[in-house]
Amino acid sequence: MITFGAPAFLLAGGLAALVPLALHLIRRRPSSRAALPTARFLSPDPRTSVRVGRPTDLLLLALRMLLLVLAAAAFARPVWRPAARGTASVVLLDRGAAMAGGDAWPRAVTAARQRLLGPRGEALGALVLFDTAATVLPPSQVTPGRLDSLAAVRPSGSESSYAAALRAIAPATGMLPEADSVRVTLVTRPQSNGWNDGLAALRRAVWPGAMEMVALPDLDTGDGEIVADNVRAKEALYFADALEGLSYAKPALEAMGWRVRMTSSTDAVLDSARLIVVGSAVQGGFAASLDQAARAGATVLVAAPAAGSLRGIVPWAGAMRVDSGGGGVWLASGAHVAGAALRVSGDAARGAAVVASWDDGQPAAAARRLGRGCVVFAATDLERGEMTLDPEYPRLLDGLARGCEAAAAPSSISRSTPLDAGARAVLRGTGARVVAARTVPGWGGGVPLGRWALGAALLAALAETFFAYGRKRAA
Amino acid sequence: MTARSDFLPPGLLEHLGGLELVARTVVRGFQAGIHRSPLRGAGEDFAKHRDYQQGDDVRHLDWKVFARTDRLYVREFEERSNLQAYLVVDASASMEYAGAGGVSKLRYASYLAAALAHLMVGAGDAVGLAAFGAEPRLLLAPKARKGHLHDLMLNLERLRPGGTAGAADLLDRLGASMRRGGRVILVSDLLEDDGGDALVAAAGRLRARGDEVIALRVLTPEESGDAAPDAGLFFDPEHPRREVPATPRGDAGYASRVAAYYGSLADRLRERGVEYVPVSTAEPVEQALVAWINRRRG
Repeated sequence: MITFGAPAFLLAGGLAALVPLALHLIRRRPSSRAALPTARFLSPDPRTSVRVGRPTDLLLLALRMLLLVLAAAAFARPVWRPAARGTASVVLLDRGAAMAGGDAWPRAVTAARQRLLGPRGEALGALVLFDTAATVLPPSQVTPGRLDSLAAVRPSGSESSYAAALRAIAPATGMLPEADSVRVTLVTRPQSNGWNDGLAALRRAVWPGAMEMVALPDLDTGDGEIVADNVRAKEALYFADALEGLSYAKPALEAMGWRVRMTSSTDAVLDSARLIVVGSAVQGGFAASLDQAARAGATVLVAAPAAGSLRGIVPWAGAMRVDSGGGGVWLASGAHVAGAALRVSGDAARGAAVVASWDDGQPAAAARRLGRGCVVFAATDLERGEMTLDPEYPRLLDGLARGCEAAAAPSSISRSTPLDAGARAVLRGTGARVVAARTVPGWGGGVPLGRWALGAALLAALAETFFAYGRKRAA
Repeated sequence: MTARSDFLPPGLLEHLGGLELVARTVVRGFQAGIHRSPLRGAGEDFAKHRDYQQGDDVRHLDWKVFARTDRLYVREFEERSNLQAYLVVDASASMEYAGAGGVSKLRYASYLAAALAHLMVGAGDAVGLAAFGAEPRLLLAPKARKGHLHDLMLNLERLRPGGTAGAADLLDRLGASMRRGGRVILVSDLLEDDGGDALVAAAGRLRARGDEVIALRVLTPEESGDAAPDAGLFFDPEHPRREVPATPRGDAGYASRVAAYYGSLADRLRERGVEYVPVSTAEPVEQALVAWINRRRG
């Protein structure tokens, strides 16, 4: 079946093809042109140039009409497709950090499953996973097992870029050549940090119709509290077993804007602290308090000496033994600190993000969300070794203190607010939710025939020139 | 040999063999021939008597007349001399037209010119050749040798139609180069842009010199209106941009306008003593010549 991306050109071409037909019909011309030396004695007879009642020069007429129709067809973007199989879906599934809170992620995957799998588990479309970048899964990879495994893993710690998701619509649609229409669903927890003003134009460009938006609710405490978390005063509580007043971490954190309160008592009030640094082993019961504080939004930074007492909450897997004398640590943001005193073996636990690495690439720190907060484990002692003298030491501590926030981002408090209603409306768009596939810009379905039509039009033009010249010569 | 056979087929020669082309005017010449010369006294044929004048040769006195009338008269005789003639062939673009007959006017004119050359050279006349079309050209000077006929045929064969030149300039050049009392035979369709005024004037100047001028007008039946073509867009080959949509076959005035043009031209030529001979390409060449010469002799 041949479909046309711009069928209006066909209509225009059909009308244009009538012009040479009309000219051939109404043209007044003599039956022949002949020499006659005594032509001066002839009296002009208009009847000899009578209107031709039927088309003359049928070959030329056919070529001229064919030329116009083919040229119009070339501009109409003809596409040949073997068959159409109804409506397919493209699901844009947000896997950014914003999806981590609560049960948003399982619900998001379930929403995607409902739209992408048929009653017998057959794929109904393509899946786009996006955070800062987008990955397109073609229908062949959209299987129940794949969605199950997807639900099992945690979202990434990165921000969600709606631009990346929107740009992936065209390639995803191109993977649905047998569909005659497509619908797009965006599954996200709308956050303003994924939005910018330029997205409005991009949204209009990439998808001509409306888009279904499955907006997962924000965390139970409400969007406002997330903002409050982010702007909460940089209060830090530092646990150390002996308080001789000798701490390298405290002045380093204070240099980064934190107000640090040192304590050795596990009875300390944790609620007001945004950052809780556990630099030494604590009693086992304190782990519950830290867990609660983390779920309430605090970031708990556990150093290697405390790992054993807080094994239940640290995002670390492995034997957790001291392997060697440490070395250099790379923070995800690029900061490098040399001279760590020790190094704890192991790897980031499942669902945790590596936020720092050793010089050999092995994880040096990992972070994992816990409730609204985060637990960070640093696989070294933060108070020992030459690294405490490194100029980048404060930046390392500040980066670890940011925990589950984008470690690669500059050391500043990231603001993320729920996407406002206006921006959501722009994302949704207007028009039909089910859009003819051929109208999608960049749709790759079928075989485009425009170039062939243009080539045929050029051949018709050449043939017309050839025959017209021959006829003129003959005349 | 090929050219000669082409122009003078045996049938044509057979028809023309017993004819003798007799000039209407008396010409002056050097060789003895069949034409009468205005130079009297040394020839064989008696011309007339005239009064004796001092210095006349007494041998020419007609003593019998003196005995009857008692007055002195001198007998004058006509000399036989050959004629100096020019065949002037129109090779303009319009002469390419052939009509439905298949033979172009230029070809037909060449046949005529070749036949006339044959006759005149056979009669001892000196024949030259001139043509006009792209430009007026004197192709061959008049000669009476038999071998000259071959050169003349070759030049006729090489004529190609083209151009829009009229005959007047060439006739004036001939008048300047010929001896007085010569003959100019113009073979042309006589379609002149100025209606023939310059041609008539030039022919008149030749006649005033004492030359004989014959205009053989060659025309196809399509041009004369006898077999007018169907409707079409017609143009003059000498002016191809001037197109006329017309239906000659249904144009009652076409033939009469053509006839009026040639009638007026013939009248003006005859007024100046030019012999005007209309010839149609539908007519066999030898038949046309026989009819014409018989008319002259009769």
